Amino acid sequence: MMQKGEMYVGWSTKDDVRKRGGSGGLVTSMLAAALEKKLVDSVVVLKKINEFEAVPIITSDVNEVLNSAGSLHSVPSNFAKLLANRNLKVALPAKGCDVRGIIEQGKRNAIYLDNTFIVGLNCGGSMHPVVTRDMLEVMYKIKPEDVHGEEIEKGKLIFKTKDGKENAITIDELEEKGYGRRESCRYCTIKIPNNSDIACGNWGVTGDLAGKATFVEINSEKGARLLQNAVDAGYIQVQKPDEKGVAMRARIKGVMEGLGKKWKEKIFVPIDSNRLEYFRKELENCIDCEACKTVCPTCSCGDVSKCTEYHSRNDAYRMSMYHLVRFLHLADACIGCGQCSDVCPVDIPLTRLYRRFANPVQEQLKYEPGMDMRKPPYFEVKLNE
Amino acid sequence: MSAEPTASTAAKTDGWEPKIVAFCCNWCSYGGADSAGMGRFQQPASARIIRVMCSGRIDPLHVFNAFLEGADAVLVTGCHIGDCHYVNGNDKTKIKYKYLENVAHELGIEKERLQLNWISASEGEKFANFIRDVTAQIKKLGPSPLKPEGVA
Repeated sequence: MMQKGEMYVGWSTKDDVRKRGGSGGLVTSMLAAALEKKLVDSVVVLKKINEFEAVPIITSDVNEVLNSAGSLHSVPSNFAKLLANRNLKVALPAKGCDVRGIIEQGKRNAIYLDNTFIVGLNCGGSMHPVVTRDMLEVMYKIKPEDVHGEEIEKGKLIFKTKDGKENAITIDELEEKGYGRRESCRYCTIKIPNNSDIACGNWGVTGDLAGKATFVEINSEKGARLLQNAVDAGYIQVQKPDEKGVAMRARIKGVMEGLGKKWKEKIFVPIDSNRLEYFRKELENCIDCEACKTVCPTCSCGDVSKCTEYHSRNDAYRMSMYHLVRFLHLADACIGCGQCSDVCPVDIPLTRLYRRFANPVQEQLKYEPGMDMRKPPYFEVKLNE
Repeated sequence: MSAEPTASTAAKTDGWEPKIVAFCCNWCSYGGADSAGMGRFQQPASARIIRVMCSGRIDPLHVFNAFLEGADAVLVTGCHIGDCHYVNGNDKTKIKYKYLENVAHELGIEKERLQLNWISASEGEKFANFIRDVTAQIKKLGPSPLKPEGVA
């Protein structure tokens, strides 16, 4: 029987899934097995429309799950809000910020965590689809429509075109020019989601298995059940990883986190004078569409909430009450997933603004939202100093 | 929205009196304000007192609303820790204030404009001194940058 804390290297036993899926298709097969053996009633997958578009769907069809094999780096979705208030018995793949969002929703009683199997995915960052299209034309000089596949390898972003050619440019170079990963991904420091039930990724796979298998770390009893189930059902094959692989995985994690911290320092330079004017300028174009609130994976007030009910354009305040309430509410809840910036129709860098408030508060209270089940400090009875 | 905050700062020299919103809890600091009056402790007429049943009732939203409506300073006052009429209401105030303080600071509101103080019902002199000190500090700072247009 598999135990919490154990590590494995595994791959799918289904040939086509193994070929199509990223790193051996283990995650896809594991989800399919969970559905087939009735461990869960449904699975969340991304249904691909094209290389830059996909919609998250909740499905009970095993074939749909198997068809979803393959990774998409330029579809920054977040599954937390999709599951909220639905009371599903579900398994889903989730990158670090999805996991954090789901746990935060769990704390707010919108998701029943005991019934949610979270398959964490190592994540070095995702890209905004519009920026990616632009980048393909400007940097790669290829038409977005010709792209057939993408991959990230050794710090290079590789796009394959339909005629079989590979185009590679280093991510550092892309980010210097303002393309590449989303800003929130650059300063994210959760690279291996150990807050999920089971953490999967290609880091730490060595030898001739490299690129063809997935490294798995079991983080909870639920995760052990999920993996055991898939092995028993004959969907996947696992073996123990070698020591070199474990060390390599830890090293990559360290390097990535270090880079994230560096970006954080670079982006959040303290503003010395007239901070109020800075925030006022940034929020000037807000059209009160409330899209940022709708997508926010930690917000769970619903349609009638403090931020909207106490806000009126007629007030003509120097600063929008809507944003002030959100700044305050997200001070301990913001997980820095970047969804708000992505959806903003007037391109306000909202994540950056929220993080400006969240960074000092979360540091002072030593509270990281979505990493464990600790109650948000705002609702604690006494301040622990 | 477009007017620069500099327009209102000119007024600070000619006898400008700051507007201070003071949230006082029913059991302690409101009593403190009362005894300040009864004990004839002199204090400037700059404070507008809002009585709440407990300082724990003060939502950060109330404070922001006060600023946005034109307050030059907002004071949050309550019973001393351990003396709360509702056992631990002011412990919760302390937590909320921590958030409020951080957000207000990051927003660029000077720390003198938002203050927390514990005042008991017998500390009339402390209340009067507190109001006097804050008024002096705010007079030096000038009108709040969050003050809406057309509000003195």
